[in-house]
Amino acid sequence: MTAVVGDTALSSPPLPERTVPRGQRRRLRVGRGVVLILAVLYFFGPLAAAFWFSIDEGNGLTWHAYTNFAQAPGFGSAASLSLELAALTVVLSLLLMVPTLLLVHLRFPRVRTAVELLSLLPLVVPPIVLVVGVSTVIGWGNAGSSGSFRSQLFNQLLNSSPPPILPLEYVILVLPFVFRSLDAGLRTSNTATLVEAARNLGASWPTTVWRVVLPTLRTSLLNGSFLAFALVLGEFTMARLLQYQPFAVWLLQFGNTDGQLSVALSLLSLLLTWALLLVMTAIAGRGPRKAVV
Amino acid sequence: MAQDVPLLAGPQEVRSREQRPARTGRTVGRRLRWSWLGLLPFFAYTALFFLLPTGVVLWTAVRAGNSFTGANLAATVHGAYLTGLEHSVEVSLIDAVIAAVLGLLLAQAVLTSRHGFVHRLVASASAVLANFGGLPLAFLFVAAIGNAGVLTRALSSHLGIDLSGSFDLYSVGGVELVYLYFLVPLMVLVITPALEGLRPQWQEAALNLGATRGQYWRMVATPVLLPNVLGATALLFCSSFSAYATAQALTNGTLSLTSLQIGNALSGNVLTSSQNVAAALALDMIILVVPLTVLYLAMQRRTSRWLAQ
Amino acid sequence: MTAQVSSEFAGVAVEFEGVSKVFGATRALDGLDLEIAPGELLALLGPSGCGKTTALRILAGFEDASSGAVLVDGHDVSRQPPNKRDMGMVFQSYSLFPTMTAVDNVAFGLRLRRRPAADRRRRAEELLDLVGLSPHARKYPHQLSGGQQQRVALARALAVTPRVLLLDEPLSALDAKVREQLREEIRTIQLELGVTTVFVTHDQEEALSLADRVGVMRDGRLEQVAPPATLYDRPATAFVASFVGTTNELPGSMESSGRVRVGAQVLPVDGPAPAAGTSVAVLVRPEAVVVTPHPDGDAIVSVATFRGAITRLRLTRKGAADVLADLPSHRAAELGAGTHAKVELLERPVVVRELA
Repeated sequence: MTAVVGDTALSSPPLPERTVPRGQRRRLRVGRGVVLILAVLYFFGPLAAAFWFSIDEGNGLTWHAYTNFAQAPGFGSAASLSLELAALTVVLSLLLMVPTLLLVHLRFPRVRTAVELLSLLPLVVPPIVLVVGVSTVIGWGNAGSSGSFRSQLFNQLLNSSPPPILPLEYVILVLPFVFRSLDAGLRTSNTATLVEAARNLGASWPTTVWRVVLPTLRTSLLNGSFLAFALVLGEFTMARLLQYQPFAVWLLQFGNTDGQLSVALSLLSLLLTWALLLVMTAIAGRGPRKAVV
Repeated sequence: MAQDVPLLAGPQEVRSREQRPARTGRTVGRRLRWSWLGLLPFFAYTALFFLLPTGVVLWTAVRAGNSFTGANLAATVHGAYLTGLEHSVEVSLIDAVIAAVLGLLLAQAVLTSRHGFVHRLVASASAVLANFGGLPLAFLFVAAIGNAGVLTRALSSHLGIDLSGSFDLYSVGGVELVYLYFLVPLMVLVITPALEGLRPQWQEAALNLGATRGQYWRMVATPVLLPNVLGATALLFCSSFSAYATAQALTNGTLSLTSLQIGNALSGNVLTSSQNVAAALALDMIILVVPLTVLYLAMQRRTSRWLAQ
Repeated sequence: MTAQVSSEFAGVAVEFEGVSKVFGATRALDGLDLEIAPGELLALLGPSGCGKTTALRILAGFEDASSGAVLVDGHDVSRQPPNKRDMGMVFQSYSLFPTMTAVDNVAFGLRLRRRPAADRRRRAEELLDLVGLSPHARKYPHQLSGGQQQRVALARALAVTPRVLLLDEPLSALDAKVREQLREEIRTIQLELGVTTVFVTHDQEEALSLADRVGVMRDGRLEQVAPPATLYDRPATAFVASFVGTTNELPGSMESSGRVRVGAQVLPVDGPAPAAGTSVAVLVRPEAVVVTPHPDGDAIVSVATFRGAITRLRLTRKGAADVLADLPSHRAAELGAGTHAKVELLERPVVVRELA
């Protein structure tokens, strides 16, 4: 699935006042209402059915799926693996992208196109294709004689806990989102001018970056981190085909054992992501104004 | 006279400052010479973890043993693999078109509703479903209309309707239905900025010149939106074509869809040279998906100049 | 060809009759009464939120008046939708259709009127010629500069031979140079065609230099409608005086003769004079202030701002408000900052405002 998060999710622009000839206003309002009601049914119908499924016991209601999921065999290790991977991915991608984009915006504006292209390419090449290449490369690595440097390196990459190969590749998967949110932040906060002002007032480079640049980027850093974190928590394709078992892979496997519990966890994960996104939207909506004042 | 100086110098000084280029590299000249090294990690990283594996796919797809061959690719357009491609294209084409239409309607309805909270609700729900929906959506649908789903049981016990007789969630049709649940939100996400870019002045200018609302939509708005809608539809096609998690979860990989076949080949569920077959199938996918995604990005770029700001 | 274009226009009268508009709790327009003569160019001038744009949009049909009526050529158009009103409107910016070339934009209204293709083309090219853009007829809006875009917008509005031309701050998004040039061209074209025109702006210089009459608005009401010179020389209210041009407000008191005493001077009052003894603010333009260097003068020049032909002085006085004075630049040389000077007013009628 190609992942895209539109700007709409994170900002609510002023609603344009459309001019409508008098006679058509009523008809339009009715049409809009019908579309919106259908949309609500469409979005929430399956959610409601699934919720019923997760608590229906045939002749009564049960909350066992919501109270017992933590004790499900394998849940703990799968969930903690996912959290570790997500945290590593966020840290790694910020370490890679923040200095790169600062340099691009402040020093090498001409390289921006190249960096943008490389950052957005992972949107073009689907994860399922990338994983074919990754597993082929892994195959080459394992072909070496055991004990050689190459096989030791690959052994470390694949068999440490957590396996470094996953966060290393996840950074690629989340690159478009981290790029877009940081790039937008750097552009709208007019970082180049702020840096010139700070340097002009006598601030050193480290002070400028730490006290001026990063604070103005707070919202986009938070935004990019959230997207990366959530995408990794739900990542399935690469983990499954490289034969690791973080949350999403475990969920599918365990679904065969206890359908109710996996439905409940699916619901919870969607709602949790949604709630977090709404919180992010609220923060993003407040951020820039705070930064300006 | 002394007091004349500030009077005359004032405005000129301001102008000369404005004309000066915004960024001056010279003040930090010595640092500049080495600071390009700071870009190396990014290029090295993307080369190693993205360009290399992608290149390897292309390479593996045309190799057999130690020689070049077209056999791998030829194999992917015959028999079961051909069926998989056909199914994938069918699902993606139908879903892309349906989702494009529904998403456009929904996005427009949301945009014109005066309630900010409806806007935020749908936008955030769309972001969640489009980006994070893959696996959970499969479970929700199994729970709703699967063999033991809530709706399936309700229909058969109360109304005597046997859903499984007319509709199979675990078939191509079922996958089509479930995919719509992340494709429509995806359409809402990618088309909303374009709809927002329709300036109210255009409609007012058109009405002012004597156009009806219908004429405005036909003669002004449609040509403006068309590149975006086409591009977005291409993106939906790609998104559907390369989706893996939902279909895998629904059918346990048994359905013949290209993405599932790639997964099966990788997991070693098929016989020899599976790595080459996986790569060849992946190459098929690249050949279909990459030009369409590029089309989407190009359309976005093309229209951004009048939709910007 | 211009004569050909102009012969098709017949100026019509426009009338606002007690038009009000309420948005929620705010009254954007409060009983607007205004008559515009056929062929006249009337500017609506005021700060943002004064209701001038609302008035224009009600005339165009984009907003419904809450009460009152709009008459065009003697007929009430209040119930007509905007696409039946036959008016040409130029918006502030970005109103050109981006997928059409300049000439197609201009021909759009004619396309809607089902005029033959050859006719449309000829007419659109005539109008582009009128606004001086023939060489750019095949360009798309994003290939044109802001000024060129507004010219195309003007040609597009005129192409359908509208009964009334509506201009909604058409120059405010342009650079100063282009703004001035286009301002003159709009006036020239409007005079040639004789089309009744309503021009909304917040720029007083624009309004004064362009219009036959200027209506100054505030809080949804018309403060004064008058030709530019009258507006400047004899503002009806203190708001008009302060919004149009720069004004000094000096303390004064009414004499029994119906004249007003300001400092040592006694001046005639323009308009109704308040009762004797009333404290008033006397409104005086900077060019009506006479400054002469004098070692014992009670005023000191604090800032002198060179503005080309004239220089504006700010004078501070002990225990009194600052006074602004304009004088020819050649005379300002002897009045640099720090100079002591005497301040007097020209002997001519002044506008006074009673102090509450």
